[in-house]
Amino acid sequence: MPDRSDHTQATWRQSLQGWLWVAPALLFLVVFVYGPALTNIRFSMFSFSAMSLDWDFVGLDNYLRLWNDPKFTTALTNNAIYAAISVTCQVGVALVLAAVLEARVFPNFSANLFRTALFLPSILPVVVVGLVWQLLLTPTTGLIDQILWETGLANWSKAWLGEPDTAIFAVIFVSQWQWTGYIMALFMVAIRAVPRDLYEAMEIDGASGVQQFWHITVPGVRETILIVTIITILGSLKVFDIVWVMTAGGPNHSSEVLGTMMYRAAFRDDMIGYSSTIATVIFFIALTIGLVQIKLQKDR
Amino acid sequence: MAAARSFPALAVLNRVILWAIFLTLAVICVYPMIWLFLNAFKTTNDMFAATWGLPKVWHWENFSTAWNYGISRYLLNSLVVTTATVVIELSLATMAAYALVVLNFRAKAAIYTLILGGAILPPEVSLIPLFRVMAETGLYNTYFALILPNVAFGLPFTTFLIRAYMTGIPGELREAALMDGAGEARIFREVYLPLCRPILASAGLISAMRVWNEFIFALTFVESESVKTVTIGVMSFAVALRADWGVLMAGLALSILPILATFLVMQRQFVGGLTSGAVK
Amino acid sequence: MKHLLAMTALATGILASLPGLAQDKTVVSFLHKFPEPENMAYFDAAVAEFEAANPAIDIVMESVADEPYKDKIRVLMASDQVPDIYFSWSGEFGRKFAREGRTLDLTEALAGPEWQGRFAAASLEPFQFEGKQFGIPVNVDSKYMIYNKAIFEKHGLAVPTTFADFIALNDALLAAGEVPIAYGNQSPWAATHYIGDLFAKMVPDDVRQADYQLLAPADQLYTHPGYVEALALYKSFGDKGYFNNGANAISHQQARGAFIAGRSAMVYLELVEFYMLADTPVAEQGWGFFPLPPMEGAAGRNDLLTGAPDGFLISAKTEHPQEALAFLNFITSPEQAAKYVSTTGMTSAVIGSVTEETTTPETLAGLKALEDAAGMALWLDTDMDTASANVILAAGQGLLSGDETPEAVMEKVRAAAKETLAQR
Repeated sequence: MPDRSDHTQATWRQSLQGWLWVAPALLFLVVFVYGPALTNIRFSMFSFSAMSLDWDFVGLDNYLRLWNDPKFTTALTNNAIYAAISVTCQVGVALVLAAVLEARVFPNFSANLFRTALFLPSILPVVVVGLVWQLLLTPTTGLIDQILWETGLANWSKAWLGEPDTAIFAVIFVSQWQWTGYIMALFMVAIRAVPRDLYEAMEIDGASGVQQFWHITVPGVRETILIVTIITILGSLKVFDIVWVMTAGGPNHSSEVLGTMMYRAAFRDDMIGYSSTIATVIFFIALTIGLVQIKLQKDR
Repeated sequence: MAAARSFPALAVLNRVILWAIFLTLAVICVYPMIWLFLNAFKTTNDMFAATWGLPKVWHWENFSTAWNYGISRYLLNSLVVTTATVVIELSLATMAAYALVVLNFRAKAAIYTLILGGAILPPEVSLIPLFRVMAETGLYNTYFALILPNVAFGLPFTTFLIRAYMTGIPGELREAALMDGAGEARIFREVYLPLCRPILASAGLISAMRVWNEFIFALTFVESESVKTVTIGVMSFAVALRADWGVLMAGLALSILPILATFLVMQRQFVGGLTSGAVK
Repeated sequence: MKHLLAMTALATGILASLPGLAQDKTVVSFLHKFPEPENMAYFDAAVAEFEAANPAIDIVMESVADEPYKDKIRVLMASDQVPDIYFSWSGEFGRKFAREGRTLDLTEALAGPEWQGRFAAASLEPFQFEGKQFGIPVNVDSKYMIYNKAIFEKHGLAVPTTFADFIALNDALLAAGEVPIAYGNQSPWAATHYIGDLFAKMVPDDVRQADYQLLAPADQLYTHPGYVEALALYKSFGDKGYFNNGANAISHQQARGAFIAGRSAMVYLELVEFYMLADTPVAEQGWGFFPLPPMEGAAGRNDLLTGAPDGFLISAKTEHPQEALAFLNFITSPEQAAKYVSTTGMTSAVIGSVTEETTTPETLAGLKALEDAAGMALWLDTDMDTASANVILAAGQGLLSGDETPEAVMEKVRAAAKETLAQR
């Protein structure tokens, strides 16, 4: 990527100009993003509630409590499952779908139609998505259950959001429904940048579509795959909206994720210090993932 | 596809399967919204009786009830917050991008990393401290309570997009202007900004979409009916109208109409913008 | 163009954040949890009337729905933006505010002449802390089992008079292929209404109160076997199929909707929901109500009705206590209360406001049953200390899904209670 500036070390005077241009943006980030992240660390060492105006210093007690909290294990597990499924679906499946659409299997008009249709869920607000799917997933009267009954698959019918075993999976499913098309569109453009003649060469050699996919497409969009994977994993780590709207972490905390745990601790359980502890943990996990990404990119 | 050449029947089967898969996916993606709109025309009893049929009577009044109930206010609030955020965000991001691409200054790489790093941090990590800041500065429950944090969290990606685009602008243009005696600010305004219109449109659209649907800040930092955005307003709407499902569906439908319309009209910019960053 | 947009946006934002352009009016902020159209119609009118009669006072009203209110009020407390007048459930929920000094002491004010004869002692008592009055009741509410008369007649069933009868009734309904009780526990407070009632019946009253208020010694908290038995009984309802399938995934509103559509024999509703049954399919089939019947040989009290008053508190830091009190006095006046009852279908706590003229016969009967009862067993999730209540809330779902056992739940409750006690 060409950088248009002079590469010699700038003087302090010259730097001043550059700094002024970036200062506002940096200011926003420091005040609203980095500062709070650090403040959390301080908060996490206190115990206080929304009601009381006095704070008790408890040092690392909150962290200990978090470690021993069974909900923490559940939440972490759920976030991990979320990440695993999201990566498989959004990186794996989306890439395949994109490849098919880009392989000119369908006429342009239909391909565009499919892309638009699959992309659509990603523009919807989470509250609408959550509410509509809650209704669709309602036992007995919901659409999904009715379909299962009509097609004779009645034994598969469950209270998807109401049972601890399936609640988080139902939420993850809705999340995939919402975002797979978006990622697919991203991949489609990435694939478009891969030179056509590579494909043509392979085709002349008699390679099948699948082989072309593995040998040209996948390596060709390697960088996008990496970025998408990281974004998906980070997204799974910070998920809050869709879980809160659909199950609020229930039933019985079975679909709890770190985000909902944090919110609940502050605004239902009256434990703001504890909430900051959870936030700090999320922060460090995100930081680690981010650093891994930077390292992976540097190695290329 | 070699196999297809030798066995034409296989090719046809392939094609049929692919069509089936994509059609199914398309239906799964689109149907819930169609269901929502259809049910918006029903009364509560109709909804319970036959959820997935067409409405027998088309109750258009559900929409006006929902509108009067407050959706109009929520939409207005979302519009104000989104517009202000996007405008401020684009301004700051283009300035930063310009400097990063064109100017030379110490610690440039570090600063760029710092800006990008903001993308890693989940917004909820800032929730509690920001909340206290909002309270202490009196910004709580105002438009700014939503505008400012959203700008901050949008800056990393927006700056990234704009910067990437700007690197494609030939440096000669700036050099020529410099020789004519123009200052950086003028070059920025008169040379770079006009050229950046496409990416500004895309980045603006992406930001707008993100802010419009933003949830956790809207949930925590505002509370009055006069300031609530559509995402949260719809939620309280849903709980309040516990008896009237038809009106609730109509309200939800109304709340997504603006984005649906914008999206369908401006698809190219949406997808184009999103992807230009990823490809690089 | 962009500049114009920017200017407009910023200007709007600034305008929006300016405090109401100061006129010489006293601004009183008022937050309640009744955003439903019927209620808003009443409150809007009441505020308008009050402002007309008191031109120097400006009431700024906001409303948040039931479930999010629990978050919102804490957000406000934490941000020190407490409204002058705010809603609260009675019992521990309200006491919490009083304990932390966030409420104005109303004992003296309420002794004044303009407040006499308005409220029954039973409505005032749950709003007292350490002998002082911290809140003013506005509604009273209680919980009843509503039944579909047509379904009962079809199977020759009668209203049960004992708990054993009630269980037999459910068995009979099940055998006849009906869904006995429509139940939606997606928002877990629904379970606490059952569990709370059972606790009141199966645990001696003094022990239960001492436990809820953490007045018992730490190692004796929540040790009475009645708690485990009650939870087991609740669980058995789910296991035997008395509740509909998938209760944890269905909202209370959906369950109520199912009963209204005639798809279940019974549903457990609050008195303030009675009016929603008018002009519905079930109204045509006929409906009646009964409280959860007395349990023979139970350790607790059978004469308490599950229910509670709720009302408003005044912020301790309010700058306008007189005006706030004046407004509350206004809306609890007999005329306003009567209007409240007839517009919203709620049951006001003001004595004499619920009559044949203002409400339906069923609501009147329901209120009479409440007044005749010896007392109220307050909603469990607002009466127990927060940490223990949270355990029960989650347990309501866990017991149904088979994830939890009654013993394990009480273990957690004990642990939570001890911890809260240690912090007090």
